[in-house]
Amino acid sequence: MLNYLARRFLTVILTLLVISALVFVIIQLPPGDFLSTYMAELESQGEIVSPDKIEHMRRQYGLDKPLIEQYFVWVTGLIQGDLGFSFEYNLPVTEVVGDRLLLSMVLNFATILFIYVVSFPIGVYSATHQYSWGDYGLTLLGFLGLATPNFLLALIMLYFANVYFGTSVGTLMDDVYLNQPWSIDKAISVVEHLWVPVFVIGTSGTAGMIRRLRANLLDELQKQYVITGRAKGLPAGRLLVKYPLRMALNPFVADIGNMLPQVVSGSVIVSAVMSLPTTGPMLLEALKSQDMYLAGSFVMFLALLTVIGIFISDLLLTALDPRIRMHGTAQR
Amino acid sequence: MSNDLVHYVSQAPFDPTAIEALTPEQEQFYMASQWRMMWWRLKRHRVAVIAGIVLILSYCSIIVTEFLAPYDLHSRHTEHIYAPPQGLHLFHEGRFVGPFVYGLTYRLDMENLKRVYTPDTRDTQVIRYFCDGDEYEFWGLFKGRTHLVCPARGGTLFLLGTDRLGRDMASRLLYAGRISLTVGLVGIIISFILGITIGGMAGYFGGWVDSVVQRVIEILRSLPELPLWMALSAALPVTWSPILVFLGITVILGFLDWPGLARAVRSKLLALREEDYCTAAKLMGARPGRIIGRHLLPNFMSHLIASATLSIPSMILGETALSFLGLGLRPPVTSFGVLLTEAQNIEAVALYPWLLLPMLPVVVLVLGFNFLGDGLRDAADPYTDL
Amino acid sequence: MSGNLRCLAPVAIAVLACFPARADPIPATYIETPMLAAKVAAGELPAVGQRVPRVPVVVTFVGKERTIGRHGGTLRTVSGRRKDIQLMVVYGYARLVGYDTEFNLQPDILERVDVERDRIFTLHLRKGHRWSDGHPFTTEDFRYFWEDIATDADVSPVGPPRTMLVEGERPRFEILGETTVRYSWSKPNPFFLPALAGTAPLFIYRPAHYLKQFHASHAHPVDIMRRVKEAGQRNWVSLHFRHDRMYKNDNPDLPSLQPWVNSTPPPAQRYVFVRNPYFHRVDSEGRQLPYIDQVAMSIASAKLVPVKVGGGESDLQARNLQFNNYTFLKQGEKRNGYTVRLWQSAKGSKMALFPNLNIDDPVWRTLFRTTDFRRALSLGTDRHEINQVIYFGLALESNNTVLPRSPLYRKIYARQWADFDLVQANRLLDDLGLTKRDERGIRLLPDGRTMEIIVETAGEDTEQTDVLQLVHDGWIKLGIKLHAKPRQREVFRNRVFAGLAQMSVWSGLENGVPTPDLSPEELAPTSQQQLQWPKWGQYYQTMSKAGQPVDMKSAQELARLNADWRFADNRKTKEDIWRKMLKIHADEVFSIGLISGVPQPVVVSNRLRNVPEEAIYNWNPGAFFGIYRPDTFWFADDGKPGSK
Repeated sequence: MLNYLARRFLTVILTLLVISALVFVIIQLPPGDFLSTYMAELESQGEIVSPDKIEHMRRQYGLDKPLIEQYFVWVTGLIQGDLGFSFEYNLPVTEVVGDRLLLSMVLNFATILFIYVVSFPIGVYSATHQYSWGDYGLTLLGFLGLATPNFLLALIMLYFANVYFGTSVGTLMDDVYLNQPWSIDKAISVVEHLWVPVFVIGTSGTAGMIRRLRANLLDELQKQYVITGRAKGLPAGRLLVKYPLRMALNPFVADIGNMLPQVVSGSVIVSAVMSLPTTGPMLLEALKSQDMYLAGSFVMFLALLTVIGIFISDLLLTALDPRIRMHGTAQR
Repeated sequence: MSNDLVHYVSQAPFDPTAIEALTPEQEQFYMASQWRMMWWRLKRHRVAVIAGIVLILSYCSIIVTEFLAPYDLHSRHTEHIYAPPQGLHLFHEGRFVGPFVYGLTYRLDMENLKRVYTPDTRDTQVIRYFCDGDEYEFWGLFKGRTHLVCPARGGTLFLLGTDRLGRDMASRLLYAGRISLTVGLVGIIISFILGITIGGMAGYFGGWVDSVVQRVIEILRSLPELPLWMALSAALPVTWSPILVFLGITVILGFLDWPGLARAVRSKLLALREEDYCTAAKLMGARPGRIIGRHLLPNFMSHLIASATLSIPSMILGETALSFLGLGLRPPVTSFGVLLTEAQNIEAVALYPWLLLPMLPVVVLVLGFNFLGDGLRDAADPYTDL
Repeated sequence: MSGNLRCLAPVAIAVLACFPARADPIPATYIETPMLAAKVAAGELPAVGQRVPRVPVVVTFVGKERTIGRHGGTLRTVSGRRKDIQLMVVYGYARLVGYDTEFNLQPDILERVDVERDRIFTLHLRKGHRWSDGHPFTTEDFRYFWEDIATDADVSPVGPPRTMLVEGERPRFEILGETTVRYSWSKPNPFFLPALAGTAPLFIYRPAHYLKQFHASHAHPVDIMRRVKEAGQRNWVSLHFRHDRMYKNDNPDLPSLQPWVNSTPPPAQRYVFVRNPYFHRVDSEGRQLPYIDQVAMSIASAKLVPVKVGGGESDLQARNLQFNNYTFLKQGEKRNGYTVRLWQSAKGSKMALFPNLNIDDPVWRTLFRTTDFRRALSLGTDRHEINQVIYFGLALESNNTVLPRSPLYRKIYARQWADFDLVQANRLLDDLGLTKRDERGIRLLPDGRTMEIIVETAGEDTEQTDVLQLVHDGWIKLGIKLHAKPRQREVFRNRVFAGLAQMSVWSGLENGVPTPDLSPEELAPTSQQQLQWPKWGQYYQTMSKAGQPVDMKSAQELARLNADWRFADNRKTKEDIWRKMLKIHADEVFSIGLISGVPQPVVVSNRLRNVPEEAIYNWNPGAFFGIYRPDTFWFADDGKPGSK
């Protein structure tokens, strides 16, 4: 077991290194760099920046060094916990990200909770009443959620929430609470505003979860021990909960690894459309303006979260499912 | 001792092979190939069949889009900008006239700067069939004018309304479908090829090949999608024509999708390569390629097909998301993503909701593929009873 | 698109030399601002009489549209980008000298400016004028800028800003007292005052008392090292630079002279700008301006701004609103208590096509440089249809030239070669010898290629794509096929500059309402940003170090006229030069202007007063709302948002 852990851990480190290189390359791919975007913007406002000044700024920001060197500077900084400096905001990255990170986590956590809470009863019902109208109907609903493009749904829901509920758009809480410390009122306001984005992001995740739960539960329900249990006279409910359900909970745990990148990604686009004060819009803006440290460090952070999430879910799965320990692979 | 007991012995002549003879149905059943059996099981899954029919119809329609669409993709009508959908009627003042629409009268509300259209109930415009309409170039090969339906002469047929340049939404939907459906197909083919080869190698050879492939898959899975998309789209050379960009997008989408398939192939192969028939083939001198291709893969090709079908929707959705971000296809190339991006403003939601209609085909297609895929997977599953 | 700082030249010497402060009488008594009354009572702030300069700017209101107001209220506005907090410096528009609503220069922060022969500028500050933190505003702040920033080898290795150099010569800087400072050159510098009045202005002063702690010449080295480490900066120069961004407006500790001062440290979702207790303007009854206590700017994504504004979340909004949002905004008027006004945008052209005269390809270069070819393209464009389809007929169909509001306007500049005349256009093309066509009807170039023009756009505006579609349909009838190619902005610009792009789409003249006293730079090849001749412009900008010299007669004429203008000494000569240049543009069709005077929707809360009903919405001059003095806007009720 320890061996396995150690090996996995090493691969995590290796993965992160490779990801960091990839991320760096990706951010540098579009032509130009932060300064050229900045210059373009100044010029479009009618200010002319002399080429000398640009060179000077380039030296200041360290953008004149070869790419390899810039990469190493960044990575060594990351290891030490120094996420770097944002050109755009002229602040250390940690300060820029600060509050938004908390809200992002709240949003993602709420979405995952929503997915679990919604898909669980629907999945169980679908499996136990297979091919009934309820099954078809609910599956259809689930798929509808999957099929509708997120960003459009976001805009439509925004509009209706605004017109019919008076919720102010583009924010996670009423304006007055924005810069204030946390309080009950602020929390209530956040919940009021939270349901729209959670609903939008969560609908696509629920369909997948419902399907997986249903399939797994169906598999279990046909196993011998269920028939035995029924023959022995166990009440249906108790029978369901005591054995098959626990097995069917497999995907809930295993899928954290899958779901995490999806939810985080999905929330980026929706956050951008709804302009929420989370990390999504900030990331998009940073990528567009090639604010190297902000974008790079943040993407690395997301990747780190994902990798750790996968790692944990693999561990959990190993702990939960003896078959994996035996065979070395997950059943799917 | 009771004379109620009756013995029964058949008086018919004895045929020693009777037990083993098969009725024609049974013969059909036992001799059926794997694909036949799949087809039978699929037929029983009604929803999947319906989905399959819808999809086949959709793909057929993209062959003859120019013929089906009432208007050309780019033809615009300056006097009918943002016209609402015209309802199709059959009866006019109690008489059956045939499918027709009412003409539109147009007034510009200068106060609100709004275009107001009212149906003119005195102007019945009967639809024509197999008529001459806008000129088109069929698949860019030869010119034609015949359309399935056209508006009445001098009239309009905007079944789904028009957009901000006065272009017919229904026609645009049809043309957009052509691009979006093709993206899905091409992308899945690429993903298929990549997934099978890489996953196959990993599963069959095991050892370090397996480790490397697993690591690569893990890395790809952990990369946040968005920056990857942005970067890859930015990497597409700017001098490419729209068609090449389109192909590039499909390659990108396919490239990002193969890990899922590869993992499934790999895990199956890991299990199956220990089977006896595989060992037998090896002993007989078959090369790994032949073993994988001829013996192992067909075992779960059905499962693969089901997986593939279930992946197409994510390609379609991926294309819409990319276009929304401005990274995918852009006008003048028209796909569902492009249409939806054009509708991505408050005016479309609040004032001209018919612009949001491209959502419907996307939903229908995604649903269709999902149901079909579900049906295929159920049909391909060898472990449930027939 | 060209450098606006240089683009605006001063009014004639006579007007400048006698810049009086307004002749309005200084109020005898002042009325205390309610928001600050508590602080004054507690002794934290001096009374209003001591907070304003001895001779403040007294604002009087004439006519019914603008009236004296009262203090109070929070102005809510929405912005599409975090960077837009710098707009408060634009809207606030407190400048040493500024433009009034007639686009004449008037002293604002300065009490008086004496100009001698356009080369010696003596600036008189107002006695008793203080920074927003109470520290006196004196010539020491000017000295700090000049000696410790502009000419300091560490802070500015490239030297002082360009507008302070006349042919490379630095000014002679003299402090003549606590409130008097003088800049002298040996040759005239007509760009100095307009730079001071610019929307993104030249700041020749700094809050010295605040910035000294970040400067190596003034602060103790140990303190500096500590500060540098704390702030995570590389060296004291970056530390200083980081704290010193007056235009960017992102440092709440930086003292300011604007009417509202940022009080929220970035990054934030909502920035609150609080009144400057030491602002130098008052109304004629003795109230210290601004009337409005606070401005709250919420940051959202650009696409959401119309939604938010339509939901009543903004009291004053023009930014991020476009003409096609008008209908939607109008719908929300009654429900949300605002009205939508239409101001006029002052660009020479909302959208113009720029054939690249510096294109690498020799065949196209010859063709684009042939005047009749450009004329034919212009004649083949149906501007009327564009106006009807996209702008409801409310815009002006004209060339890329000055607008009717400008005193320089003549109909012929706007309409020459701007009719939709396919017959004449086709004839011009035929006369050029371009008669061969392929099987689709597309004309052939002299070397056999088909005449297909790729128009590149920055891909950010669906309006541009739509317009190009309409233009395409017109040009196809001339036998020319147009392809629209959206590119990422960076790539777009670089391709134009490098001569790879055939034609591009962008907005036209930056300032469409010039007077003869403003520099006609935009009409001559002076900047790389001019997309029809980027290399010639670059040649001028870099002072012959890069680019190509002008080798076309009409463009050389424009350059000569531009140089002449600088040394013209009376208004009549300047006007003649302007007219000659405008006529050349009208004749030569260097850019194909499509549409101008596009209305700009401005959403104004029903409770907000003193906002003009109709006005010009322009970046420079104009500062969007700046010249209309937002510090004089006031709320006609208690000013609390949500009250109707």
